[in-house]
Amino acid sequence: MVELLEAIARGLGQGSLYALLGLGFVVVYKTSGVLNFVQPALMVLGAYFASALAVDAGLPFALSFAIAILATALLAGAIERVALRSLVGTSEATAAIVTLGVFVVLNVVAADLIGAGQRTVGDPWGLESFSIGAVTIFENDAARVVLAALAVGGLALFFARSRTGLAMRASAFSHEAALAQGVPVGRMIGLAWMLAGALGALAGVMAATGGGGFDQTLALLALKALPVIVLGGIDSIRGAIVGGLLIGVAEACCKTYQPEHASWLGANFDQVLPYIVMLAVLLVRPYGLFGTPQVQRV
Amino acid sequence: MITAAWVRRAAAPLACAATLAACGADDKSGSSGDVMFDNGVTNEPCPEAKNPGNGCIYLGTISDLSEGPFAVVGVEYTAAQKDFWDRVNEDGGIGGFDVDVVKYTRDAKYNPEEHVAKLREIEPHVLALAQSFGTPTTLAGLDIMKRANLVGNGATAWSGWAFEDDGLVLESGQSYCVESLNGLDHIAEEFGEPKRVLAVHFAGDFGGDAAAGAELWGARNDVEVTTLETAPNAVAGSQDAVLAAIRRRQPEVVLVATGPAELGEIVGKAVAAGFEGQFVGSSATYGPSLLKTPAGPALKARYRYVGPHAPYARADTGAHRAMQRARADKLPQSAAYAGGWIASYPLRRLLEQAAKKGDLTRANVRATVQDVTVDYEGALPPRRFGRGGATIERQAVIATLDDEAPLSTRIIKDVFVGSTAKDVTIDRACTADR
Amino acid sequence: MRRWWLALLLGTLLVLPLWLDRELNTLMATLFVVAIAAIGLDILTGWCGQVSLGHAFFLGIGAYTAAALGGDPAGRVVGLGLDMLVWLPAAGVVAAAVGVVVAPLATRLGGLYLAIVTLGLVLVGEHLFREVTSITGGAGIGRPAPDLVLAGVDLDRTSSLRGIVSLDREMKLYLLCLALLVALAVIARNLTSSAVGRAFAAVRDRGAAAELVGIDLTRHKIVAFAVSSFYAGVAGALLATITGFIEPRTYGLLYSVEFLAVVFIGGAGSLTGVLLGAMFVTLMPRLVQELPSVLPFVTSGSSADGFPSTFQLQTMIYGALIVAFLILEPRGLLGLCRRARGHLPDWPLRH
Repeated sequence: MVELLEAIARGLGQGSLYALLGLGFVVVYKTSGVLNFVQPALMVLGAYFASALAVDAGLPFALSFAIAILATALLAGAIERVALRSLVGTSEATAAIVTLGVFVVLNVVAADLIGAGQRTVGDPWGLESFSIGAVTIFENDAARVVLAALAVGGLALFFARSRTGLAMRASAFSHEAALAQGVPVGRMIGLAWMLAGALGALAGVMAATGGGGFDQTLALLALKALPVIVLGGIDSIRGAIVGGLLIGVAEACCKTYQPEHASWLGANFDQVLPYIVMLAVLLVRPYGLFGTPQVQRV
Repeated sequence: MITAAWVRRAAAPLACAATLAACGADDKSGSSGDVMFDNGVTNEPCPEAKNPGNGCIYLGTISDLSEGPFAVVGVEYTAAQKDFWDRVNEDGGIGGFDVDVVKYTRDAKYNPEEHVAKLREIEPHVLALAQSFGTPTTLAGLDIMKRANLVGNGATAWSGWAFEDDGLVLESGQSYCVESLNGLDHIAEEFGEPKRVLAVHFAGDFGGDAAAGAELWGARNDVEVTTLETAPNAVAGSQDAVLAAIRRRQPEVVLVATGPAELGEIVGKAVAAGFEGQFVGSSATYGPSLLKTPAGPALKARYRYVGPHAPYARADTGAHRAMQRARADKLPQSAAYAGGWIASYPLRRLLEQAAKKGDLTRANVRATVQDVTVDYEGALPPRRFGRGGATIERQAVIATLDDEAPLSTRIIKDVFVGSTAKDVTIDRACTADR
Repeated sequence: MRRWWLALLLGTLLVLPLWLDRELNTLMATLFVVAIAAIGLDILTGWCGQVSLGHAFFLGIGAYTAAALGGDPAGRVVGLGLDMLVWLPAAGVVAAAVGVVVAPLATRLGGLYLAIVTLGLVLVGEHLFREVTSITGGAGIGRPAPDLVLAGVDLDRTSSLRGIVSLDREMKLYLLCLALLVALAVIARNLTSSAVGRAFAAVRDRGAAAELVGIDLTRHKIVAFAVSSFYAGVAGALLATITGFIEPRTYGLLYSVEFLAVVFIGGAGSLTGVLLGAMFVTLMPRLVQELPSVLPFVTSGSSADGFPSTFQLQTMIYGALIVAFLILEPRGLLGLCRRARGHLPDWPLRH
């Protein structure tokens, strides 16, 4: 029982991370229909900025964290302005390939900045843990849950209450309709990118907490978010969160039990599991748990 | 009748201009003084030659240099080789030739397809390969190397090379498989023979090889050894599976054959959760910057490093002294530097011997492998290459981790051959089915 | 007029290997095969509108089918030593069969959902390829490709044609891949200009409307999947043969994305576009490799001290070129060519 509860706790921590990674993809997809391959690089650069400020420059963790989020958001906004603004309204697949080109460039830059070896972000949690009854929980897992909840809460408020949030939702609904109401759709997409940058940096820093820090190979981790967002429904913020937590917990349980009890499934089966969970959900609900069904007009 | 050969000769310059590629006829025979040569050797001096009066030997390098998964290792290894051959040139070169390892350096990003494409490109222009980086990549290129009589230094420590390579791939130092044997031998000597060992590992030529070594060790010593395959954090998300296995299987020793990020997480979290046993891992598992992560204290207390040779600073071998001079005492970032430097000795010896015989043709360089003894200036025991059974290197160094020591590794045994590693029979790749 | 240009192009391509060295012949052969794979993807994505990230999986299926059937029986992995006449079609057929099996899963989904479900296919494939080590040799080690014996003739050896032209392995691969590309391109053209092709386009543009006028959506999507996977299987087998070696990790997401890049950089839904895209993706890195020697600020060699090193720069330029080309012309290289032609009204010799 303790083992199961601990696995669930770790799964929730990891799942919060996946949820944030997923949200980064979702905000851009929702407003522009583009699968953003730059997101992995934004995540890595966010972690790097925090690391450079907290460890190399010796700033307090919270301050470096905040600056890293801001810097990554600005960078994301700049990328959108330079590379993608002119593609609004053309093929979304083409835009996705453009983001891939940007990723190739940024990935080399990020790898060079990170350099050889491990980096840390100077987080206060490290390997500390606390206990609830017999269940031991790592502080960084708890921190991931709390920070993800704060970020998601903030995002929800922003979309529900602010005028800009409303305008973004309008652009997500329909570019033409939004333009007709005087919403600057291009700028809204830029804003979505900045949000994605901020979420990416947040996820990057969280991914870097825990035992061994992070290194040049971190970028691939962002792809963990893809089954998450499809499972949840690709245009749904709620979906990304539920999907992230679901897959985080499923994965943690698989890691804990599959090697002992179902070893015939092969080594590292947990890498395939998210896609199997995703497929199972899609067979029942083709637009994910919370996605908007696309109504086809004749 | 117009023969195709004639057509090709006539049109070759045109094709070259059209493709921008460095073209050349396939066979470039020639001689300089009393040394014969064909591909990869010229009477013209090298670009930026140390000895402008010398001819030039071109060596190829195919490595992981920009965005591949092991770029960190590839870049340092390659830099070390540049320094190594610079030193050879400063000492006058080889048989009246300087050696160039820059012009035909290519980045294959650890991808077999790209590796083979780059190898095809540089093959006509080089005498041998200063570096062929990685196991699957080098295996992929082996066919071309065979056809072209191209000898090369394999930057890979898979145990299969002793049986696969046709004598073309030069290897220095113990394989990952033997590394595990030595590591577990050391732990048993130091802390008493364990009852249960868990080997956690990546798949394939590195991790799989190391895990196979651990199993071999268990079979020889009648110790229960179990294995668990894991994957890099970037694809696995976390090392939860390993931590669960440690909790459940209660090993006394955990052998880790992963990358540094995974090692940090495993050791840090296992010790935080109350694990009281020892960890041991190979040279490819550990990275010096790990001591600055939260896992640092646990690593210092519980981890033993096994490697084929001293990672960098050990003033009492000629090789290490030369490395330090070459870098003007600026520390490299990992053991990959020493790896690249030390692995270059066999090729140097080979070229010297071929040049002494007055024949730097590729065929002769290949033939010379059958009869060459390499002196590593003390970094490794002298090694005889050639026929008469596969050579299995069995020597290791053992280190503890220490912030004060260079590259955070303090050598505690600089010539270690474990009791199992000493005489266990290895007659095929450890990764092969048994 | 157009036909003459095509004949001239083909004629040139037929004699070109005599001028090229072995490396460039292999590079051209790679280009032809990349084009075959991309034509397959374009049938599914460009014509039928189904964006798939699963193409790498089908290339892998083709490669391993070929290697198991045509591999060396004495090797450390499974190999039956069969002829290329067997293993090459088999590679396509097995991949197509797998395509038919998974297609029904995909037919209910569209857009990004489909893309990511097919990405799941790649993940499952990677897992399988890692696990079935008796066929694949395992991750990080790999296995040799099938032997090159076509109708009993060993293409590996250099042979002489009536003593006039000597053909080495690379030239033969070039010609073989060219022939297959031409054949498969013609088949693709015929398919897309037939009723099936028009149905594909209808499915892509207005699925619901197509269904109303009696086009069976599911059946057509399955056909598109099957054809596309067949092309991928054949291409996978050929690419493995060109490299001479197969490693499980090759068939990952990046590989899939590379073929999507070919389609969209060139111009989706057009044979010429796909060929242009294949040229870009295979030849550009090779050209970019020559570039740093002309640029003064680049750190030479592989030096660890300066940014960017030659190799970092090569990778970055390639990425930047993709961005630049597509910003310039979102319809891909084909659009760029058409525009260029618009500016030069008499080119090439308008009739």
